[in-house]
Amino acid sequence: MASAGTRSSSPSPVPAGCDVQGLYPGAKLDREAVVLGIESTAHTFGVGVAASRPPYILASVKDTYSPSSGGIHPREAAAHHVRVAPRLLSEALRTAGLSISDIDAFAVALGPGLGPALRVGATIARGLAAYYRKPLVPVNHALAHIEIGRLSACMADPLVLYVSGGNTMVAAFAKRRYRVFGETLDVALGNLLDTFARDAGLAPPYVSGGLHVVDRCAMRAPEPWPLPYTVKGMDVSFSGLLTAALRAWARLPAAERPRVCLGLREIGYSAAVEVAERGLAHTGKAEALLTGGVAASPVLREKYRAMAAAHGARAGWPPAHYAGDNGAMIAWVGLLNLLAGIVVEPGDAVVRQRWRLDAVEVPWR
Amino acid sequence: MLYLVPWGPRRALAKLRVEKKYRHPSIDMALRWRRTVTEARAIREALEAGVAAPAVFFVDPPQYLIVLEYLAGARKLAEIIEEKGASARVLVARLGEMAATLHEAGIAHGDMTTSNVLVHGSHLYLIDFGLADLGADTRDMAVDLHLFLRSLESTHPEVVDTMLGAFLEGYSARAGREKADALMETVREIRLMGRYREERRTAWREHA
Repeated sequence: MASAGTRSSSPSPVPAGCDVQGLYPGAKLDREAVVLGIESTAHTFGVGVAASRPPYILASVKDTYSPSSGGIHPREAAAHHVRVAPRLLSEALRTAGLSISDIDAFAVALGPGLGPALRVGATIARGLAAYYRKPLVPVNHALAHIEIGRLSACMADPLVLYVSGGNTMVAAFAKRRYRVFGETLDVALGNLLDTFARDAGLAPPYVSGGLHVVDRCAMRAPEPWPLPYTVKGMDVSFSGLLTAALRAWARLPAAERPRVCLGLREIGYSAAVEVAERGLAHTGKAEALLTGGVAASPVLREKYRAMAAAHGARAGWPPAHYAGDNGAMIAWVGLLNLLAGIVVEPGDAVVRQRWRLDAVEVPWR
Repeated sequence: MLYLVPWGPRRALAKLRVEKKYRHPSIDMALRWRRTVTEARAIREALEAGVAAPAVFFVDPPQYLIVLEYLAGARKLAEIIEEKGASARVLVARLGEMAATLHEAGIAHGDMTTSNVLVHGSHLYLIDFGLADLGADTRDMAVDLHLFLRSLESTHPEVVDTMLGAFLEGYSARAGREKADALMETVREIRLMGRYREERRTAWREHA
């Protein structure tokens, strides 16, 4: 099998002293409940356990599929998930110090994501719910990224920049749902960096020593190579940037190539931060949340912090383990949904590859 | 940063593009320079094509400064839609006409939201041309309508259909039915690509 998994687990990200009930005025957190959540939308299989009492997140274990060449093949990711699922399920329960009979409901990310990968999590969750006769709770993956971010940074009402392999989105809460103010017109930020790294021959692996290979390559450049910067309203477009960067890479001598990495990285991150800035100015929020896999980047975090500071807003993000895909965020939103009575019959729990964030009603906020 | 400044016998709007600490300094300077120059050029070309925009009094690219006509008492289209709801469709039809005129001149606005259209007396003005594209292709032009729609969707979701109808009516009155249909078709394509709709066709079947 041409793949290796990267395993990790992490303690609860909830800061001490955070008034969690205050973040969720519509949730009945005084009702005791424990939910197990399963994440399998892309290259990570994750299992988490969340509870209505501190420390709220009882366990989060995950294993990320990393191909030895090329990008994520949906079927290979699915095969990886099937392989690691049994071990991660028992590891999550052991970490939480619970047995499966202590679990009140099973939550699963039904979308958006890659069909074959999504179906692994959905099949397992349906099976568990039916076998143990417990409710099955549907969770939107994008909403889960926002909520684990809000919980980790203890933010009541932030402007959100959600950046990952498959998403680049500016959102804020209004009238019972997260409204999307801007997003990418083509390629997502994570995908921009990964595709460039792969086609330039820098990856896989995409991340080494906690840094993306494009960040690593950029460190050796004195000045960025000039590349196109495209912002339209609150939307970004990265396809022209990607093409121009790959052309420059092919044309330039090896000594000049780090400049292309720096130009790509700087423009990609800055354009994403700029649309978040426009969202912040437009909505007038006092908090700015950065979430999603790319939110683990120290370079992006620093830019985001500088942007928020210029507007007098507090910036925040989840720890790296919770920035990337994880099961705890699914368990957490699963818990909130369960307490609000949002459950689904196992037979109706179909995956939705393009389930939009702004299609989800959020009663507990 | 916007400043209201005295300009001879009248007042003017001084728009200063300030440094952004989150951008690499050389990228930041190049970008502020380009947007300042683009704004001045796009306004001039828009005026030549017959689209109302605030006049440019002064441009100083090395200072990232542009001084514009101040439209005292002008209100954002967004506020008027908030107030009048669907009956603001007459204004949106006129915006559709303006957009068609701008597009015929090869210009895409690049930030055509309800906040960037001013209503002043009986006139409509387009503002904020810094993200404009002077050699726009069909896709750039379609992005104008896409951004206009999304600014409605995030603030006035109940009037989206009415306003889209009005915009296209105005657009075809100027550019013809065929151009309006082609524009809308490209908007649909953009929205399928940019994760705007669930029903995008994929190779994967939904049999979970």
